[in-house]
Amino acid sequence: MTLHVVPSSTVAPAVVVTNLRRAYGNRVVIENLNLRIERGEFVALLGESGCGKTTLLRALAGLDSIDGGRIVAPRRPAVVFQEHRLLPWDNLWRNVSLGLQVNDPRERAAAALAEVGLGDRLDDWPRNLSGGQAQRVALARALVQQPELLLLDEPFAALDALTRIRMHDLVRELVASHRPGVLLVTHDVDEAIALADRILVMREGRIAFEHRTKGHGASRIARAELLTELGVVASHHTA
Amino acid sequence: MSNLEQTVSPAEFDGVEPKDGASAPVRKPFELGRRGLQLLSWLAPVALLIVWEVLAQAGWLSPQVLPAPSKVVRTAFKLATSGSLLNDLGISLLRAAAGFTIGGAVGFALGTLVGFSRIAEAAIDRSVQMIRAIPFLAALPLVIVWLGVGEAEKIFLVALGVTFPIYINTTLGIRQVDPKLVELGRIQGLGTLELIRRIILPGALPSILTGVRYALATAWLALVVAETIGAQSGIGFLAMDAREFLRTDVIVLTIVIYALIGVAADGIARFLERRLLAWHPNYGGAR
Repeated sequence: MTLHVVPSSTVAPAVVVTNLRRAYGNRVVIENLNLRIERGEFVALLGESGCGKTTLLRALAGLDSIDGGRIVAPRRPAVVFQEHRLLPWDNLWRNVSLGLQVNDPRERAAAALAEVGLGDRLDDWPRNLSGGQAQRVALARALVQQPELLLLDEPFAALDALTRIRMHDLVRELVASHRPGVLLVTHDVDEAIALADRILVMREGRIAFEHRTKGHGASRIARAELLTELGVVASHHTA
Repeated sequence: MSNLEQTVSPAEFDGVEPKDGASAPVRKPFELGRRGLQLLSWLAPVALLIVWEVLAQAGWLSPQVLPAPSKVVRTAFKLATSGSLLNDLGISLLRAAAGFTIGGAVGFALGTLVGFSRIAEAAIDRSVQMIRAIPFLAALPLVIVWLGVGEAEKIFLVALGVTFPIYINTTLGIRQVDPKLVELGRIQGLGTLELIRRIILPGALPSILTGVRYALATAWLALVVAETIGAQSGIGFLAMDAREFLRTDVIVLTIVIYALIGVAADGIARFLERRLLAWHPNYGGAR
């Protein structure tokens, strides 16, 4: 029942998961799962509800204990959730710098907010933000920690379609410049294709299918294939 | 319904546009009506005061039953300039402040403990709830046996009244903090103390301040009772002393002072809420 998070040496992968096992009582949620994410690599994790993908993300975040196997991560990863989870009683720069151990938290927060296009809203309150803006602040809060591993738990699911597309572009840019390893948990096949270098489909507690999207163009085929893997008949599911 | 200018067609009431001249400026009957009602709401108590004054001046009200308002005001000036009123007021406020501080600290400490620890809850909460079931004023005779009729007894009674509302609302506030925000705090690497300071206490603050408002009201009530029972100084003493000499003007004055301080205390609590909860959609004025 111990948490096997072992600090690794400096460079190398963002996270390595070996033979991970997680069970709630008799119900095994994750079994024999292996995963390696390099720094700068963008991995999307697809799967039906209840397939264990959120459990995996929470284990990687150190929020849940694991029952077997190893998770080797350099240090605590940053997480962006579906809800922005901004503290309503703190203004934006104090939200972004939450937990940041530096001498100039305001300046760091200002830089991070500028990166997400909210550099002029340092002293504003979370309640004055739209859903997309709040999620951008959550991204800034994650990236200001300079994480080697960034975990995204359906962070765009609650946004409208246009805002989601803008967020995709922003995330792509930010990941390209900060180069953390990214694990994106999502329901959205198109989002996975648009963002990820590698797409994993999780089923019954393991990685059932893997697809590399490097060198685009094959996305149509990929989409059909992924939907089949997810148990959806592709022809009935055109965008 | 004699005021024809104020009558409004049913169509306007239902928010339906008048069918004919749409460009004609529509009167706003509700704005006018609200201001009128506001005025009326102040007019009524003023009228009551005037009636009281007239009745007293005409001699229909015996000054020993109810002195004229003007007489009360004159008495207030006289007592204030002689210094005794301010002195007694200061003593009363000091007692309230001391009792509030002690009771507030105890209530907050216990509430925090129980809010954070299930073990502390199991150990403490039921006992506190049982003691809370006692109307705290009923404990007064016992308190007098313990502490006599001195300062300690008065401060104790105030503290007793303050402890419970602060305790209950602190516990409640801590329990109601969004666990998702606590989880976020851990992800951002906050230590336990930082977690409490940055997330749990701010999250519990609206509830704690509600407790403060209740506590201010009970503190004041406790003080009135304690000072009426046995005191050598303070507003309550002033009232009891005046009773001996049938000085109803002084008695009425003390009642008015108690009321004013109650209103002031509530004002302070509201001010604190507006300042500290500026971020909160239900309170804040800020932005």
